[in-house]
Amino acid sequence: MRLSRNVAVIGAGMTRFHHKIHADKTNRELFVEAALEAAESVDNGFQMGDTDALFVGNFSSDSFENQAHTGALMVDWLGLCPRPATRIEDACASSGVAVNMGVLAVASGAYDTVIVGGVEKMTNLGTEEVTDTLAMAADAIYEVSAGYTFPGLYASLATAHFAKYGSTWEQLAAIAIKNHHNGALNPKAQYQSEVMETARILGEKRGMTFKDEMEFLRSPLNPVVAYPLRLFDCCPVSDGAAVLILAASEIAKKYTDTPVNIGGIGQASDTMSLHDRVELTSLSATRLAASQAYKMSGMRPKDVDVADVHDCFTIAEVLATEDLGFFPKGKGAKAAEEGRTALDGDKPVNPDGGLKAKGHPVGATGAAMAYEMFKQLRGEAGRHQVAGAEVGLTQNVGASGATVAIQIYRR
Amino acid sequence: MTHVSERAFTSKSFSEFLGEGKIMGARCGGCGKLILPPRPICPGCGGKDLEWKEFKGRGAIRAFTVINVPLTRMKGACPYACGVVALDEGPSITGQILGVQDGGQVTVGARVEPELVREGDKTKLCFRPL
Repeated sequence: MRLSRNVAVIGAGMTRFHHKIHADKTNRELFVEAALEAAESVDNGFQMGDTDALFVGNFSSDSFENQAHTGALMVDWLGLCPRPATRIEDACASSGVAVNMGVLAVASGAYDTVIVGGVEKMTNLGTEEVTDTLAMAADAIYEVSAGYTFPGLYASLATAHFAKYGSTWEQLAAIAIKNHHNGALNPKAQYQSEVMETARILGEKRGMTFKDEMEFLRSPLNPVVAYPLRLFDCCPVSDGAAVLILAASEIAKKYTDTPVNIGGIGQASDTMSLHDRVELTSLSATRLAASQAYKMSGMRPKDVDVADVHDCFTIAEVLATEDLGFFPKGKGAKAAEEGRTALDGDKPVNPDGGLKAKGHPVGATGAAMAYEMFKQLRGEAGRHQVAGAEVGLTQNVGASGATVAIQIYRR
Repeated sequence: MTHVSERAFTSKSFSEFLGEGKIMGARCGGCGKLILPPRPICPGCGGKDLEWKEFKGRGAIRAFTVINVPLTRMKGACPYACGVVALDEGPSITGQILGVQDGGQVTVGARVEPELVREGDKTKLCFRPL
C-alpha cells in the first residue's frame, strides 16, 4: 500500500477528557469545541469553510445519547453543509480509522483539506449500562452471552500472557503508575494526579495510610473488576472529542511552516471472538497494521521516538509494545516495570497519560492520539514533552483487537 | 424437529442443537477444517461445502477471568467466571466456567467438561472444571 500524494496534519484540537465537567454538553458541543481549537491551532489561520469533507469516529451515541447520524450532525453544527460527512464506527478504533480514511481521501486527490475527528459522550449512562454498551463491541452471540464484559476479555488475555510468559499483575501496576504520572503533567487529562496522591486522598477518607503505591493498589480500595485486573488496570468512562485538520502536503505549506507529516498508515482486522484466534498473547491485527505503516514510512520500531498506544487496560499496553516491535514478545511487562516506557525512558509510551489517565471517550480516542503526536512532534507538549521527538506512532484498537488502526507521523 | 442435514449453518441452529443436548459445529468438505460455532463460509478456505459435526466438548482453559463488575443481565450471578476453552477436538469456544468465584480456583490449562445449562427458553454452553 502506498499513498498517491503526501498528506500532513496542519491543526489539532481536543476538549479535556473528563467524567464530570462536560455534564451540560452533548456530543455536538464537544465536537465543535475540539474543531474550533483545531482551526485556531493552524499557524497561518484556517477558515472552517476551507474544509472539503468530514470524517468522524463515533462508537455509540445511539446508545449513550439516543442520537445516531453523527456525520451529518457534526457537519451541520460546524456550519459546513452541504459538504460530505461520514461517520465511522469501528468500536474503540472508530477515530483511528477515521484518521486513516481522511488520509486516504486526501491522498486520492478527491479532497485537498478534510476534518477528521472523533467524539463520545458516555456519562449519561451508569456503570452497568456503560458496561452493557461497551460489550456490544464484542461478539454478542458467542461472547457476551457467556457473560463476558469488556474488562473480562482483556483480563482473559492477561491470564494467557501471565501463563505463557510469566508476566505479573505487579508489572501491570507499574503501567498504571507510569500513566497516572504522565497524566498529572497533561492539562487535557481526565485524571491529573499521581497514584500516590489518589491513595492519600482515598485513604484519608477511610482512615487508612499506604507506604507506597503497591500497598494501595493491592488494597480493597483498588477492587478487582475482572480477575486479574483491578480498577486501576482499567481506563475510566469519559466524555470528550478530538479533531485534526488534514491537508495535501503541497497545500499544507500555505497553512503552516511546521506541519506534521503522515509517514505511513496501516489497518487490519482480526476475528471478533477471542476463541477464533490462534494466539491469545498477541493482537495479530496490531502486528499486521504496524508492518503496513512501517513499510509505507520506511521506519522501523527502533526509529519511533514516542508512541501513543491503546491502553484501555494495562495488559493492552503490554501487548501493544510487544506487537509494535518495541520489545521482544513476552518482555513488554518487564520493560514497563524497568521504566523503559516512562517519559525519560528509551521508548516513551503514552506520554499524555494514555487511555488510563487521559481518559477514553471511546470514539474520540484515536483522534486524541493523533492530537498528541501533533503536539509532541512540534515540541508543544509542555510538561509531558518527549525531548527531541521526530517520529511518532499511534495504535488505536477496536474492541479486543478485531480492528487496529495505526499511523506513523514525522516532523 | 428438523432433520440435521436440513438445518442451516447459523447461530440459530447452534442454539437449537444446544436445546437438544448437542454441541454441533461443522466440518468443511473442502479443507477438512472443524468449525465451531457453525458458520456458512469456512474461515479456513472460504468453502461452502459443509456438513454437521457433533463435538464432545471436553477441553482445556486457554484464558479466563472472574467478573466482579457484571453486565446488567448477570447482576445476580456475580462473581462468575468465563473463559476460552480449547476443545480436545480442535476448535475453541467461549463459555461460562461453572463453580468458580475466585481467580485462584482455576488456571490456564485446567481441564474442563461441558455442561448445558437451561436459562428460560434458552440453553447455554458452559464448562465445569474436572
